[in-house]
Amino acid sequence: MTRLLSHLTQEVIVFLLAATLFLAAAIFLPGFMFKDGAFQAGNLIAMVRAVSVLGILAVGMGIVIIGRGIDLSAVAVMAMSVAWYLQMLNSGVPGWQALGWALAGVVAVGLINGFMVAYADVPAIFVTLASSYFVYGFVRSQLIVSDATPAPAGSWILELPNLGLVTSTHIPIDVYAFGAAVFVGFLFLRFTKWGRYIYLMGDNFMAARNMGVPVRPMTVLYYVISALMAFVAGILTTSSIQSMNVRVVNSNMLYDVILVCVIGGIGLSGGKGYMRNVVVGALLIGIMGNAMTIMDFTNVEQNLIKSIILLTAIIIDGLLNPRDEQTAQQGDI
Amino acid sequence: MSASEQTATAAPIVEMRKISKLYRGVPAVKEVDFDLRKGEIHALLGENGAGKSTLTKVMAGVVTASGGTMTWHGKEVSFQSPFEALEAGIAMVFQETSLVPSMTVAQNLYLGSEKFLNRLRGIYISAQQFLQSLNFAVDPTAIVSTLGAAKRQMVEIARAVHHNAEVIIFDEPTASLTPEEKRHFFALMHRLKSRGVSIVFISHALEEALAHADRITILRDGELVVTDHAGAFDREKIVRAMVGRTLSGEIYNKKRGADEIRKPGSRVLSVQDISMSNVVRNNSFSIYEGQITGVFGLIGSGRTETFKVVSGIYKRDFFAGGAIELEGRPVRYTVPREAVKDGIIYVTEDRKTEGFFETMSIAENLYSGLLAANLEKKAYISLREMRALAKDWTGRLNVKAINDNARVVELSGGNQQKVVIGKGLIQQPRIVIFDEPTRGVDVGAIAEIHQLINRLADSGLAVIVISSYLPEIMNLSDRILVCRQGRIVEEFAPDEATEEKIMYAAVH
Repeated sequence: MTRLLSHLTQEVIVFLLAATLFLAAAIFLPGFMFKDGAFQAGNLIAMVRAVSVLGILAVGMGIVIIGRGIDLSAVAVMAMSVAWYLQMLNSGVPGWQALGWALAGVVAVGLINGFMVAYADVPAIFVTLASSYFVYGFVRSQLIVSDATPAPAGSWILELPNLGLVTSTHIPIDVYAFGAAVFVGFLFLRFTKWGRYIYLMGDNFMAARNMGVPVRPMTVLYYVISALMAFVAGILTTSSIQSMNVRVVNSNMLYDVILVCVIGGIGLSGGKGYMRNVVVGALLIGIMGNAMTIMDFTNVEQNLIKSIILLTAIIIDGLLNPRDEQTAQQGDI
Repeated sequence: MSASEQTATAAPIVEMRKISKLYRGVPAVKEVDFDLRKGEIHALLGENGAGKSTLTKVMAGVVTASGGTMTWHGKEVSFQSPFEALEAGIAMVFQETSLVPSMTVAQNLYLGSEKFLNRLRGIYISAQQFLQSLNFAVDPTAIVSTLGAAKRQMVEIARAVHHNAEVIIFDEPTASLTPEEKRHFFALMHRLKSRGVSIVFISHALEEALAHADRITILRDGELVVTDHAGAFDREKIVRAMVGRTLSGEIYNKKRGADEIRKPGSRVLSVQDISMSNVVRNNSFSIYEGQITGVFGLIGSGRTETFKVVSGIYKRDFFAGGAIELEGRPVRYTVPREAVKDGIIYVTEDRKTEGFFETMSIAENLYSGLLAANLEKKAYISLREMRALAKDWTGRLNVKAINDNARVVELSGGNQQKVVIGKGLIQQPRIVIFDEPTRGVDVGAIAEIHQLINRLADSGLAVIVISSYLPEIMNLSDRILVCRQGRIVEEFAPDEATEEKIMYAAVH
């Protein structure tokens, strides 16, 4: 029994919880999976789409958190870079040129975040918070004209849902993108030298630095990765709703992204977690959010329930994997 | 009847029965019985990692026991926090002080017992009176971070006394004190005893225990070896009980002949006048290939900082920071990575905070050394290579673990240290800096680590051993440097050095 319990890590608990919720919703909640006894895919597809964007952001965030950082600018970069890109397309900038500018902007934000954290020793939480405000303020006041920027008719973004692969399998493009992001993230973390470096830095930053891990370039790298992931997430959002509304920056989407990581079991103290934790976390948040929407819970009630789930997951994890001064990690929070 | 026999017959006020404490399933203390009587000084001795600190932390509520019972004044108790224990009357004075550095002495004294309306002037006056009653020359308005180690300890002790503690636990109280301060400390300990306070006193210094304790308890590998009156012990007997074999004597009492001392090879490192804020001051020395340079210094002498500058972990002052030459080439490292690339590695004294990666296995830890040094210039990692490397190095270093996938935190101190050393040696260094290589390492592993260090020097590397344990310095070094107040003040050849001479140079 105790052996069994010791396998119940947070990610397993959360996975079981997600599976239970899914089954319960499928059986008891009309409109979730079955309507009037007949299978219907529509709602499931909507759910998976919603989760995918969150999941892609969480892939970037997860890599940053494993390396003992945090990126509060992810949602701002997602919304503002894509809004600016669409704005450029709408005002007649040639496609490749616009994409180039937008990507350059995204990489620049990642570089600045990374440089400030790694070379100027400013805590990541302040750097990325400031850059979130800056990116939002600068783009909204200087580069775009209104909150919602529509995608121009005939743009490649709008064609994404109609790709051959997508129409033949009926699986939305978002899911392919999320899957690809998770897979690439997995390969990067698991099999490349730089992926190992990120784990080393997250586990024990001082030790990693002292033994010659290039900690500063690596820090810059993972903020750039996070910014690029945010851009991809933004493109996908636009492909499904045909425009980008920058008001999302002021929503609590960012907290949902962090929630996906933390609830999936990526330790905020760094060095712990894998891409599968992101998947598990995204599944739970997605199923929960969708079920609650069908049940007509308000946003406020949904937040309340999410908070309870988060606390429960953390408390159960604390009970099953107790920590004291000998097991506590450096920089644990 | 002598005084110590009188206390021996008094009823115990703390009684611990079959106390065990497991960390991740690894026992630090196994079914230990311990009792403490009113008004006695009870010395707790044992090698590093014997479980002395853990046992007393259970008593003081810092950690909770995994098994066993504890009674306090005859009632069974289980303290859940240090605060509960302190309320009951058990105070612990820690090895690393637990004062709030940014507050004044008086504020620290009253920490946790402030009145609702806290008036600074009031507590300064009463703190002043209180410190005077203890004969402590500490200014109550001084900020703790400005005090030296000895004064901080005085404040800790005063805080314990101030809480009217009936039991005070001292964890290695004399490690950072000068001889003069030690005399003061022991005088105080006896004054506390005469007031009826019971004292548990953890120490490495056997002479101190013999001179001042009423009873002595010796632990080894988490188990109780013996508890008896101090009169029943002598140095030999204690050492035997502590190590369980005479190995310790073999390690440290071996005399080296003049022909065994290695001659210096070519000069690899030349350090001139390096400075770093006020910790390292105009420090100059040279390091030669093919021999072991021992560096001795007390805590706060800047020995660790000096070599952290050499290995790029700290940056020396930008202006008037001095010069470092590696084989005649001036170097100024901004990050340790550059030093590692030049073949300088630093093996830390603090494994947990800057040595190993605790969520990772032995194999992953060893492999990280190879990856970080970037010796192979490959972008991907190879699990097969990692396993081969781990097999090779655990064999070479004789790391004892169930398998290479065991996590490093689950190993004993000695095996952890071997992994940390291995991780560095994999990087193919030319200069190896060992900072306290045998701190928290079990006796068996000490001998192995010493052999390893000797082998490295024999193979032509420049080896530096920093230690605050004199026998270790005397035993290993081909050349002894003594550090005091941020600089190397004296150099000895091992055949002319004595413990007294080195200590004199380090203190005065």
